[in-house]
Amino acid sequence: MEHGSKALTLLLVEDSAADVYLVREALRWEGLVVELQVAEDGEAATQILDRAESEPPDLALVDLNIPRKTGIEVLEQIRRSPRCKAIPVIVISSSDSAADRQRAFAAGAVEYFHKPSTLDEFLSLGRLVRALCPEDPRERSQQRVTQQSRGSDDNG
Amino acid sequence: MPDEDLTIRELHERLREAEETIRAIHLGEADAVVVEGSRGPQVYTLQGADHMYRALLENMREGTVSLDTEGLILYTNPMFAAMVEVPASEVTGSDFQKYLAPASVSSFAALMEAAAARGHTSGELNLRVPQEGRIPVRLSLTQVDCAEMRCVSVLVSDLREQIRNEAILREEQLSRLILNQAGEAVVVIDPEGTILRRSESARMLAGASVMLDHFDRVFPLIASGISLTAREILLRTRNGKPLRGLEAHMAHPDGRVSALLVSASPLWSNPRELLGCVITLTDITELKRARDELMRQSQELAQSNNDLRQFAYSASHDLREPLRQLAVFSELIQKRFGSALGPDGGELIQHAVDGAHRLEKLLQDLLAYIQAADAPQEVPATADANEVVRKVLATFHVETSRMGARIESGPLPVLGVHEVHLVQLFQNLIGNALKYHGENEPEIRIGAEPGQGLWKLWVEDNGIGISPDYQKQIFGLFQRLHGGNKYSGSGIGLAICQKIVQRYGCKIWVESQAGLGSKFFFTLPGAET
Repeated sequence: MEHGSKALTLLLVEDSAADVYLVREALRWEGLVVELQVAEDGEAATQILDRAESEPPDLALVDLNIPRKTGIEVLEQIRRSPRCKAIPVIVISSSDSAADRQRAFAAGAVEYFHKPSTLDEFLSLGRLVRALCPEDPRERSQQRVTQQSRGSDDNG
Repeated sequence: MPDEDLTIRELHERLREAEETIRAIHLGEADAVVVEGSRGPQVYTLQGADHMYRALLENMREGTVSLDTEGLILYTNPMFAAMVEVPASEVTGSDFQKYLAPASVSSFAALMEAAAARGHTSGELNLRVPQEGRIPVRLSLTQVDCAEMRCVSVLVSDLREQIRNEAILREEQLSRLILNQAGEAVVVIDPEGTILRRSESARMLAGASVMLDHFDRVFPLIASGISLTAREILLRTRNGKPLRGLEAHMAHPDGRVSALLVSASPLWSNPRELLGCVITLTDITELKRARDELMRQSQELAQSNNDLRQFAYSASHDLREPLRQLAVFSELIQKRFGSALGPDGGELIQHAVDGAHRLEKLLQDLLAYIQAADAPQEVPATADANEVVRKVLATFHVETSRMGARIESGPLPVLGVHEVHLVQLFQNLIGNALKYHGENEPEIRIGAEPGQGLWKLWVEDNGIGISPDYQKQIFGLFQRLHGGNKYSGSGIGLAICQKIVQRYGCKIWVESQAGLGSKFFFTLPGAET
């Protein structure tokens, strides 16, 4: 598998160690080389995002149900941040309710991943990440430009 | 001197006759004297002797007539003539029956016979009169022998007033009786608010005899926080706004408080003069207490139901999370270390995975069951059952092809239910029909017929059937009739079906014999057109 010069940086906001493990497993299974920053609650996510102003992550995975803040609040914070607002955010959740999906998309999620109860389905998260975040740095910068322009459209 | 003797005898005879006449006149036995004069016989009425009686008859306030034995009127006094509204001169000489109401003719004949037999009798019957139609009268008949003629004197007493008085008395008694027997407190007040009449219940409500007391003192009513006085009630009713069931309360001296419904109507005399007002006080203290209690219980029940639903929802939701991890990690172990575990280890892990997935399905169904009761009902909904069955059958396509199932669906109605509910119903019923098939290939028939305001639908199969002993129990939560290995399932499907139809006030039931297939019926409302 051909890797780029630099690993992908991913922010994972998830309080369940088991799910963090499974996300890592999914990324590994997909063959992605990833630098994963894990925030176990909303406060930790805020700190990472504040630090990230200079070097924002390539993608964020945000669990809806986390301590100290809701996943939606974290998502909104990302969308408000001048440097991070364009990064794709995948909301992950054990809920498959239409209302939760709607809330997530309204807050700016690009994907909604319902945590499945079979391994194969869970591993498909890796493919989703790859699709949203190609490994080639050139493609990455290209995508970021597109995302940013889309972001500014949204704000206008 | 025979001639002289003859003359003397004749004179004696005449003298005797004259003396007899004078005696008769004196005794009042003669009414008139007939005198042979030069102009022939002349009648001289003798006024003097019977003048008093005649005056009495002519002026009395009751009617009187003299009849011959055939009922012909020989004499009438003016009062009888006035009663029958015919001039006295016409009444005399006419038949008495002419003045009787048709139904009284035979009674009168009987009275005449009785008078003839016993000399005197009396009875009540009706005169026929032009204006009023008939007058109830009492007849007293007395047989009288007058000179050589037998006649009947009849006294005619008008009973109208007496009957009126009796009727008034009866009505008054009835009114009193009604007032006293009335379950509600009825109070009649005059325009000043003084109590003129009250029912027994009103006395009991007041706890004392209240006649001639002032209404406000006896019944201190409060409605919407303001005194409801007699003055206020009179004012409102006088202005044509009768009170109807105004809720009020009344504090008793002993501290009790009665809840009352107050109604009031004005009492007008004829001509229109306000006599006062009739006030009805219905004691609803017990009713209100029961109603409040019922409302409290119903709120408690709703709260408790809600809590329970919330609990079940949270529990099944929260349980899914660790379960999901259990299932996924079991698979992960299998995937990563499958070869190291060997065939036995792999099988054990597979059991763990299966168990976790079964539990997962169970919780999913439990959530569906809870949501079946929760889905919004206020939105008017319609669902075409033909369309729903088509969709549901499409989801079973793999099973039906594999089993070679034959499925017939008759024309189905458009129903006034949420589509998601109808989908769940058919999904469970068709799913069961496929699952519990017997040795033969499944044959499923789906149909519907209109009933009284509701449609009756059914799903019929040729499967293993259900013994009558279990036909009620299968609709309960987690009720399964078969061991887990032969037929999988959580035992929630039919409970969901029942919950759904009950939401629409409808029913679900089954007709079946073990080994002979099952026919599940359910009712649902049709779509409003």
